[in-house]
Amino acid sequence: MKDDGILSPDVARVLNLLGLLAMIGVLAGAYVYQFTYRELPCTLCQLQRLAMVAVAFGAAMNVTLGPHPRHYGVILVSAVFGAAISFRQSLLHINPFFNTDTGQPTLLDTSNPPFGQPVWGLHLYVWGIVLFSAVILAVGIAQLFRGQYAAVVPGRDRLGRFAVIAVAILFVTASAETVTTFLECGLADCPNDGSWNWWFLRG
Amino acid sequence: MMTIAFALLAVASLLLWLRLRWSWVLVFAALILGIVIFVQDVDFATNLGIQL
Repeated sequence: MKDDGILSPDVARVLNLLGLLAMIGVLAGAYVYQFTYRELPCTLCQLQRLAMVAVAFGAAMNVTLGPHPRHYGVILVSAVFGAAISFRQSLLHINPFFNTDTGQPTLLDTSNPPFGQPVWGLHLYVWGIVLFSAVILAVGIAQLFRGQYAAVVPGRDRLGRFAVIAVAILFVTASAETVTTFLECGLADCPNDGSWNWWFLRG
Repeated sequence: MMTIAFALLAVASLLLWLRLRWSWVLVFAALILGIVIFVQDVDFATNLGIQL
């Protein structure tokens, strides 16, 4: 495919590497938040993290194997899934006069408190909407430049070492999420109150 | 189930490390598990129905 001169395969891979690192950074920030405030993620929060790792995986495919529409497809499907979860959780808490336990409206504005502490004025599930919308927008803009799909010349793989490191970071992050999720949920459904599954972690 | 979904992503990352192009299939399997968890989590009868 003809290179349009603006977004070469190498530049696209660097941008995907930056996107991957940004996504890993958000997940690391979620861990800092989790252990600072001692608030375990709820089921919907875990699902948003799952979508973030999947988005990072699509970016890692672009970095490792070269830009391809299928890899961007993985990013898009994951981002749409994450955005749906974020919208769902935001809508759950959008009305403070709605008691989610009884499913009835109330006169108390404390019957439907937001989940967790806000970060820079917004709760994490609202940041999720911003994040996944930005990912969808970025992928849409990236599709305007078809030169990135040009075949990479053999022997010019200048990102090789970075690509290996990026996938290694992704693997470590996904493994850490697996371990902490196992500690919180075991192999069954996750508790919605954010408590550890194992007795020796409760305290 | 959530643990299994994350484990699928970890295995997919390992396969991508080995440059296996079909590793994305495991990611889609994890997302499908996520959709199942999401649908189970929503109490359609008493919650979503009233809100809509």
